[in-house]
Amino acid sequence: MATNEIYNKEYDVIIVGGGATGAGTARDCALRGLSVLLVERNDYSTGATGRNHGLMHSGARYAVTDGESASECISENMILRRIARHCVEETDGLFITLPEDDLQYQQTFVEACQRAGIRADVIDPDEARRLEPAVNPALIGAVRVPDASIDPFRLTVANLLDARLHGAATLNYHEVEGLIINQDRVQGVKLLNKLNGEHVEVHSRVVVNAAGIWGQRIAQQAGVNISMFPARGALLIFGHRVNNMVINRCRKPANADILVPDDTVCVIGTTSDRIPIETVDDMRVTREEVDVLLNEGVKIAPSLASTRIIRAYAGVRPLVASDNDPSGRSISRGIICLDHAKRDGLEGFITITGGKMMTYRLMGEIATNAVCAKLGNTAPCVTAQQPLPGSGEGYDDQRDTTKRYSFGQRAAIGRHGSLAARIEKDNDIAGALVCECEGVTVGEIKYAMHQLHVHNLVNLRRRTRIGMGTCQGKLCSCRAASLMGEINGNVKAAQEDLAAFLDERWKGMRPVAWGDTLREAQLTAAIYEGLCGLDMAVDLKGKEDVQ
Amino acid sequence: MRMDTVIIGGGLSGLTCGIALAKRGQRVAIVASGQSTLMFNGGSMELLGCVDGKTVTSPLQAMATLPQGHPYSKIGVDRIATLAERATQLLADTGISMTGSAAANHWRITPMGVAKPAWLTLSENFSIQDLDNLPCKRLALMCIRGFFDEPNGMLAHGLQQLGFEVDKIEFTTTDITALRRSPSEMRASSLAKHLGGNSALQRVADQINSLASHADIVLLPSVIGQSDDDGYRTLKTLVNKPLQLVATLPPSVAGMRMQTLMRHYFRMLGGNYLMGDSAVSGTFDGDRLTAITTAKLGDMPLKADNFVLAAGSFVSRGLVADYERIYEPVLGVDVDADTDRDRWTSFGVLQPQQYFRYGVATDQQLHCLRQGKPVANLHAIGSILSGHDAVKMGDGTGVSLLTALAVADSITAR
Repeated sequence: MATNEIYNKEYDVIIVGGGATGAGTARDCALRGLSVLLVERNDYSTGATGRNHGLMHSGARYAVTDGESASECISENMILRRIARHCVEETDGLFITLPEDDLQYQQTFVEACQRAGIRADVIDPDEARRLEPAVNPALIGAVRVPDASIDPFRLTVANLLDARLHGAATLNYHEVEGLIINQDRVQGVKLLNKLNGEHVEVHSRVVVNAAGIWGQRIAQQAGVNISMFPARGALLIFGHRVNNMVINRCRKPANADILVPDDTVCVIGTTSDRIPIETVDDMRVTREEVDVLLNEGVKIAPSLASTRIIRAYAGVRPLVASDNDPSGRSISRGIICLDHAKRDGLEGFITITGGKMMTYRLMGEIATNAVCAKLGNTAPCVTAQQPLPGSGEGYDDQRDTTKRYSFGQRAAIGRHGSLAARIEKDNDIAGALVCECEGVTVGEIKYAMHQLHVHNLVNLRRRTRIGMGTCQGKLCSCRAASLMGEINGNVKAAQEDLAAFLDERWKGMRPVAWGDTLREAQLTAAIYEGLCGLDMAVDLKGKEDVQ
Repeated sequence: MRMDTVIIGGGLSGLTCGIALAKRGQRVAIVASGQSTLMFNGGSMELLGCVDGKTVTSPLQAMATLPQGHPYSKIGVDRIATLAERATQLLADTGISMTGSAAANHWRITPMGVAKPAWLTLSENFSIQDLDNLPCKRLALMCIRGFFDEPNGMLAHGLQQLGFEVDKIEFTTTDITALRRSPSEMRASSLAKHLGGNSALQRVADQINSLASHADIVLLPSVIGQSDDDGYRTLKTLVNKPLQLVATLPPSVAGMRMQTLMRHYFRMLGGNYLMGDSAVSGTFDGDRLTAITTAKLGDMPLKADNFVLAAGSFVSRGLVADYERIYEPVLGVDVDADTDRDRWTSFGVLQPQQYFRYGVATDQQLHCLRQGKPVANLHAIGSILSGHDAVKMGDGTGVSLLTALAVADSITAR
């Protein structure tokens, strides 16, 4: 559908926010037969969705402190294993007790897990060392739980794809500048198209605010107050996968106590700091955060001390104070769905927030139920049964290990599941590798550009993992930029995009720029500035304002 | 083993110094750990390209304004012109034929089609003397099908910006098509390996001749000739139009060839090139370094009258940054570097990065300092030196070549 056609339609529901929650809500609404538009101000999964551990919680982490969240997690965990097979890696997890921890807590923990319906098997420390050689060998206790690893980028894209397959329209780089309100009724959104600067209005019967921490701002535009308590968490990515199971500390949740294997790397996190709402767009990681993560991470897996850190990043959890507690003392990690007609006398406006990436589907179901109640739609929710695109028919066939696939094809199947069949591969150019670390081919880039709303290299990274390996896009980013520039017919833009991509990679590298990461940065500078003169070709910021 | 001089590092500066010393009859050993940053050099040397954000056209003049700590200032700006001429001659002796002058920069053409100031460029590479007076109008840019390490669109765009008419012409040959079957083989170095023979070159020439008949000059990615420039010279005679090469993304075929030619020449002069070995530690006696140990020689130390530290910057592990500090890992000599990690780098990937200026501390004669005192028989040369910035100032290869020659002079002057 052309963008103008999208603007001119009137929708049952417009969803604001292209994270997992927004995408899940769009999918659910579309599956129930509603006409849907989803708008996202940046790229999909730019906020908290793309800035967490990539951990598919079993719920065990919350069992002691928040039984309700724990039950939600385990129930969603089991659903995602069915509907999002191509996004999930079934690693299982350990909760380890170290000599400095209280072994008594293990008992409390296991009982709480059982109450929440989470399988939790106490195992011998020897058995834990055998199952997971990377674990701190000094451990004195271990519990095995059904944690897993999940790719949130892939998950979000799969939900968006399915929403589109069922008639939804989606727009990234469209920022909500205001809501259209008529006599206490929200009737649509005022949008800025950030790709061309155009302002448009799009109408709908209901608007769902699924903007995460930015939801407070969206609510303000409707004249409604929601008190968010932004909790910032920083994480570190290590250059290879030292562990094969998720490793957690068996103690009350604290800083840097979870190490998750994600694809070719592993991630330690998080810190947790309350920050002022005005600073939620500043995602730069501080030296103090790095120090905490590193010091604590080494206690979980000692080999992290000698493993290269390739990147640091931070995200903001959208925690919300309950309405009867504006001070925020009893902040909930649970799901919050606000019908502003009941709460504030404003019709046609729903906020879905709180929760976790893990429970995005349930949040989508709850929000869609609220939308359907307003619109008189009685169709049942099927998102827990119907597999996502990529995990459906043909999935097992693609995973057939007796078939011969190239590295690039294997990697693409891992990323796109059964949809990998749509990637062009039958000629010598389509199969050529652009990114050697992650096995991204020319065919996969073309597929992503044409099917997955890719406008730039950062989008491409989120869809394909290009540039996410140890070299952090040293050569592949130039190859991909050049390719995209030729396909789009705009080489100048491709060069600027390349510089912006390198800048985005550098943001994550700078807080950990020592050792091999500093070497990699120097090499990248030698190639792009020294050899290629990219700094002279693009006009980011001039040299003069720095020295 | 006893040498006159032992050089730690076998890249551009180490080899240049080794060749200059061996030519004067010294017994020289070079400990070379392996890869050199010449792999990332497109076939040009830069003396000085940029000062205070301004492009330099006359490097010798602009040098007068450099700060005291810059390696050129330490050598003495009045010596630069002579040393530059000697460097050009030394490269020519090894079989690396380059053109250019230290008095006036010319413009090399980068893989992205940017014109960057340069001192010397390989004769086979496309370069421009005067941007206001282009050498021709029509260029045929030959694009190898399936080769992504030349960003052809950007290159063509850049050349058009400079004022050329550019025809982008895609081609392939049976050799290239065969190579493409393996998805990871399309790198400049593999192409060079497979396009080396005369018949393969003939097939490339046939394509060029049939497709690029209207051009004034034909441009081809630099994928010919890993060990010498015979391939280029053969191809030039087979192609009907003037043929010039353009640098690619790494690995650079021209850079690998420069490295190979210099190494062969050094060995021909009787030099010992200890390939794949690395220096581990040094033994000091008072203000002198008496011996170094290497990974391969084990407990057999390398002794010498003089030592030269040419181990490169962070990329080459001549300098190491860890969680807390920056140091020189082999001899533990002093470094010029900030102690606060937050000051090593800047926000903004294209901003000047302070760590580029870090390096080992030296006195005016380029003697390394150890605990603040000069080591009488240990010099540092090339990228490991502090006070310059290869990326932002365009002075990397110049510093490597000229400090190498200056130190060779001091060593043999005694």
